[in-house]
Amino acid sequence: MTDKLSTTRRGFLRGTIGTASAAIVTTADAGCSKELTTERGTSAVPQTPAQERVDVSTKVNGQTHRLEVHPDDSALDVVRSQLGLTGCKLGCGHGACGACTMQVDGTPVATCLLPATSLHGRAVTTVEGVGAGGLHPVQRAFMAEDAMQCGYCTSGFIVEATAFHDAWRAEHGAREPTKEQVAEAMAGHLCRCAAYVQIYAAIQGACAGRFDGEVEAPRYDAREKVTGKAKYTVDQQPDGLLIGKALHSPYAHAVVTKLDWSAALAMPGVEGAVDLLTESRRVRYAGQEIMALAAIDERTALAAIEAVVVEYDVKPAVIGMDAARAVGAEVVYPKRGDRKHPPNSSEGPLLPEGWSGNLRGPLGLFSKQRRVARANIERARKDGTVFEGTFRTQVQCHTALEPHVALAQWEGTDKLTVHISTQAVALKAEEVAERWGLRRDDVRVLAPYVGGGFGAKGTLTHEVVVAVALAQVCDAPVIYGLDRRSEIMIGGNRPGAEIEMSLATDAGGSMTAMRSITHSDSGVAVGGVVSIMHRIIYPEAPRELVDYDVTNHAPPGKPFRGPAGPQAYFALEQAVDHIAHVRGEDPVAVRRRWDPNPARNALYDWVDTLPEWTGRPAHKADRGRYRRGIGIAGAAWFAFVEPKSRIQIDASPDGIVVTTASQDIGNGTRTIIAKTIAESLGVGMYDIDLRIGDSRYVHGAWSAGSRTTSSVVPPSKHAAEQLKEELVDIAAKHFRLKGAVAVPGGVAHEGGKVPWSEVLAISPKITVIGRRKRDEGGYAVPQIMGLATERAVSASLQVVEVEIDTRLGRLSIPRTWAGYGVGRIVSPTLARSQAQGGVLQGISYALYEERRLDPTHGYLLSAGLEDYRIAGIGDVGEIHIHFEESGYEKVRGRSVGLGEIVTLAPAAAIANAVFDATGWRPHELPLRPDRVMKGMHT
Amino acid sequence: MIRFPTSPSEVPASAGGGPSPVIRAGGTDLTERRRLRLAPGPLIDLRDVIGLDSIDWAAGAATVGARVTVAQAASDPALAAAYPGLAAAAGSLATPQIRAVATIGGNLLQANRCWYFRNPDHRCLKSGGDTCLARAGDHLYHACFDRGPCACVHPSTLGMALLAYEAQVAVHEQPERSIEALYGDGSDPSRDHQLPDGALLTHVVMPAPVPLERAAYFRTISRARAEWPLVEALVRLGLRGSTIEFARVAVGGVAPVPLRLPAVEAALVGNAMDRTSFGAAANKAREGASPLPMTGYKVDLVEGTVLEALERASYATPSAVGADAAGSAGAATPKDGA
Ligand SMILES: Cc1cc2nc3c(=O)[nH]c(=O)nc-3n(C[C@H](O)[C@H](O)[C@H](O)COP(=O)(O)OP(=O)(O)OC[C@H]3O[C@@H](n4cnc5c(N)ncnc54)[C@H](O)[C@@H]3O)c2cc1C
Ligand code: FES
Ligand code: FES
Repeated sequence: MTDKLSTTRRGFLRGTIGTASAAIVTTADAGCSKELTTERGTSAVPQTPAQERVDVSTKVNGQTHRLEVHPDDSALDVVRSQLGLTGCKLGCGHGACGACTMQVDGTPVATCLLPATSLHGRAVTTVEGVGAGGLHPVQRAFMAEDAMQCGYCTSGFIVEATAFHDAWRAEHGAREPTKEQVAEAMAGHLCRCAAYVQIYAAIQGACAGRFDGEVEAPRYDAREKVTGKAKYTVDQQPDGLLIGKALHSPYAHAVVTKLDWSAALAMPGVEGAVDLLTESRRVRYAGQEIMALAAIDERTALAAIEAVVVEYDVKPAVIGMDAARAVGAEVVYPKRGDRKHPPNSSEGPLLPEGWSGNLRGPLGLFSKQRRVARANIERARKDGTVFEGTFRTQVQCHTALEPHVALAQWEGTDKLTVHISTQAVALKAEEVAERWGLRRDDVRVLAPYVGGGFGAKGTLTHEVVVAVALAQVCDAPVIYGLDRRSEIMIGGNRPGAEIEMSLATDAGGSMTAMRSITHSDSGVAVGGVVSIMHRIIYPEAPRELVDYDVTNHAPPGKPFRGPAGPQAYFALEQAVDHIAHVRGEDPVAVRRRWDPNPARNALYDWVDTLPEWTGRPAHKADRGRYRRGIGIAGAAWFAFVEPKSRIQIDASPDGIVVTTASQDIGNGTRTIIAKTIAESLGVGMYDIDLRIGDSRYVHGAWSAGSRTTSSVVPPSKHAAEQLKEELVDIAAKHFRLKGAVAVPGGVAHEGGKVPWSEVLAISPKITVIGRRKRDEGGYAVPQIMGLATERAVSASLQVVEVEIDTRLGRLSIPRTWAGYGVGRIVSPTLARSQAQGGVLQGISYALYEERRLDPTHGYLLSAGLEDYRIAGIGDVGEIHIHFEESGYEKVRGRSVGLGEIVTLAPAAAIANAVFDATGWRPHELPLRPDRVMKGMHT
Repeated sequence: MIRFPTSPSEVPASAGGGPSPVIRAGGTDLTERRRLRLAPGPLIDLRDVIGLDSIDWAAGAATVGARVTVAQAASDPALAAAYPGLAAAAGSLATPQIRAVATIGGNLLQANRCWYFRNPDHRCLKSGGDTCLARAGDHLYHACFDRGPCACVHPSTLGMALLAYEAQVAVHEQPERSIEALYGDGSDPSRDHQLPDGALLTHVVMPAPVPLERAAYFRTISRARAEWPLVEALVRLGLRGSTIEFARVAVGGVAPVPLRLPAVEAALVGNAMDRTSFGAAANKAREGASPLPMTGYKVDLVEGTVLEALERASYATPSAVGADAAGSAGAATPKDGA
């Protein structure tokens, strides 16, 4: 019907197309055109296209509303856009994640699939209406137990859990429900940050009546998250906002021979379009954005996309590494020029490397005594003391619950504000300024809340380019974000890998050589560096470490939480396990012999006191249907720091305001800063008014590469120390104090103590800026891209128990014990939840996650959260976390990051446990039921 | 365009010209398909239709309205007592937030979840194209009982359960039909059920309950919960002494239609309810399997899943009916093979 209507309207407007104007915007983003052609819509003022409307009368959070809705509007659309209640979120749009859950007549419902018309005569409760007038016990429980990270899924969990709680207590009083019962009730919710351990605790505790009174939240922004008040980029709704939508290529390899958007631009309500192709007009992966347009609402934008005429000269595509390496394969980057700036899937700079067809490499930089290594492997082969095997890992998608999204708004022609769901507010402001030729101070990037990133939201990507370009041509605010299909398709992924791994020892069990030849599948991107992971652990033996990228027509990989790590350790730590097994040695003893790292050695000591490990059953102890096994694996990660990181404190009679252009993606940046400053002053965390996520503030660290803690803690302390000094001076002068000195809570002097609040009350405005001082002894290598590498390497060791159902091929992880050496722990609650979340993401990677493309045409098949499986609450077993806080004396603040190390070892530990249980060593991820069944048969 | 009829007779069979009208119940399947442009056409929303949302009993047997939600079907005590397997299946599908809205009619008539069918850019046999893209492409989650050009698996858990219950469906102004007739044999690649466009399913008509049946529903998935089944099965057993004298076994997730497994049923009847006969019977679940290159594992899973469901049925408390429901005619234990 819409089609028919728009045809008429199109016809009606045909005469006015001539007024379109074209503009050129420059950008140097890889994979995106340097010069963007844009065109403005034909109508002078935005027109609302005539659309069918249905009257709906509904009560939302107790208030009656008369709404006009389109028959195909979802309840979620309407409540968010017409009523501005943005607490409940669009996560997947197809019923799988639960972020959109609202109560309809008291029953939780997935509103992304619920027709808005069915709200007629019903009462709706959104997260904003939960516990109206005060916090619901479930909200308090989520705050107290820290049952969230990024908070994007939290509203949905809260709405569901409050209904469960109320029904439970009505029926059972304050009896505590079992984990099973909670899992059953919460089965329709996914948390990508995997805060499930805390979610269990919160819901069980609330039902048991433990949170009926006031609580304290360990997380600074917990209240905003449990009440739905936290505003993410997707929640911003400035007046006159236009919706951007893109046309994605259905083909993996093609040249666009015709792109005609005139019919689309002539549609009422369509305000502008942008061409996203490069000069070559070539498309190199299915899903690539070809053009985008902005319209007055989503329906109009989507209809307009359908009206764009595009013709393709479809070329042969190579999908996956085997096809790309085959003789005579189509070459993705045949020309020299193309090879200069392919997208980069790593976090570091790309080193110049050779190319041969689709193969880029070898990168052998991290080898050490290569010839010796080769000779030692040869010798060990003869002696039968070598492990050799090839391991394959899949492509894993970040699929953060808040997709990539940006909202841009120009003020005149030279001032720009962009909301971005980003991990790098400060950096994006610099990049945007540079690309649009603006002064840094005229660009404001905002990201008060970010619904997860996991590495994919660090660089300037298309969502920003599209929003900025469209906002410019339309002269109106434009939001452009990916839907779940596109997010999984092009939002970012961890490259797949094929690793030929050799590990040689001598008769005494000393490691004599390590060798790994890795082929990484980052699609059209390059930058696989598994070798560096193999360099930083067991570092003494000679080794040959080589990386190749195998380019093929698949979407580009991006840095993903511990880039290259899970792949690298899946191969290496299984090789180590094999050697120990063959030698009949304890796997910890073997590692201890090879490993000089003090942090991991402390963890070996810890694991030797773990009864579940030391008292583990014999290899292949179970012979029945269910087989349990225990495996161990370790990992190393870098400690990074961003020395430019700053923290500003403004103190005045109005209080203490702390600012920095960092952001909190669920990693707890806010809490870490507020807590550090509060502890230094001896006041409460909430006495600090902390504002982040705004590029106008002093330079803030990215949230990537596990650098946040080590980058923000020292400047926070430094700022607090300066503030204290100043305040002591002021107090001494003003109150004529003798022997004035800062103590927790205020200034002590001979006659007693003046609290900070009294000092502030008489203080003039003070501004201090805290800096990140160098580590003692400096950094390991010179700074690269604003990032310094500390001399210390962080450490993990993980013990995993698996249970295999040999009848149905199911693998589960009942228990995990994970130890980390990351120095001083700033916030134990948050650190534990980061670690548990990281372990769960690692489990999810090992068992479930897998991007699947059509094998010949390369378009995405696992296009939603039903087919792209991530761990749910029912998949969570016991996860015990141990922190080894010793070491890192030379690191400023004595803390290094935790975000990545936690997710590196799970796959390897699980594989080793599977071997322990069955004698079958998994060589390929994920461990799907079909693979497990096959493994059992071999 | 959208209409809100208030009675079944106001639901037009066809709009005449243009895309045929689309009936909307809970919308949990349709909403996504309409976004993907897979079900254009004017909407006929059942929101205001009176009389399709109750579970009624006559002569001890239930008639379930098409608009009864899956959640209601799962929690209705009388239904669970009479048809325990149906209630269990209803309570295990999808997620609580979906079950609260999804209707019985919509569940039976939902479209398949094949990732080629639901791709907006590519057309397959079921979406107007001329070839099954899964067959040549990636069919890891597809059929292992290959029934025709389309390799998809039927999505309806309740279709599979109702097949095991030998239920009938009532369609407005049409004769009642069996589940087998509703779905056909799976060889029609163009559709997921055999009702004409715009035909309104009004009720599911259950046969008289079998007193003291032991039923179990089981689905095999990779995660713990909330996942489309790799394979699912429903088993109903009736005993005389310790001998199985009645067995119904159906499986889903394996073919373009839910399948009954007569060979398994036959292998059970007349044998003791024990490990040996379960093992032998479950092995018969492989009979007739014709896996695609990537779905061989599912044949093992069909056997495993049926075995699991058999074992669970054997521990299940026998259904409570008998007294009231079975008092009426037709409640005698049906003989197998009848
Ligand atoms: C995350 C998720 C997981 C799921 N898992 C499962 C699962 O494990 N097993 C399973 O079986 N299902 C599963 N489903 C599917 C779900 O059960 C169906 O979407 C639902 O049952 C459809 O019911 P509805 O009332 O919402 O139908 P609608 O979406 O309204 O309609 C579905 C189809 O049925 C037609 N229709 C509906 N009612 C009638 C009627 N009375 N007469 C004629 N035609 C009618 C419509 O025209 C449409 O074609 C899942 C869904 C989601 C989102
Ligand atoms: S957004 Fe509704 S379930 Fe994911
Ligand atoms: S906290 Fe659940 S998705 Fe981030």
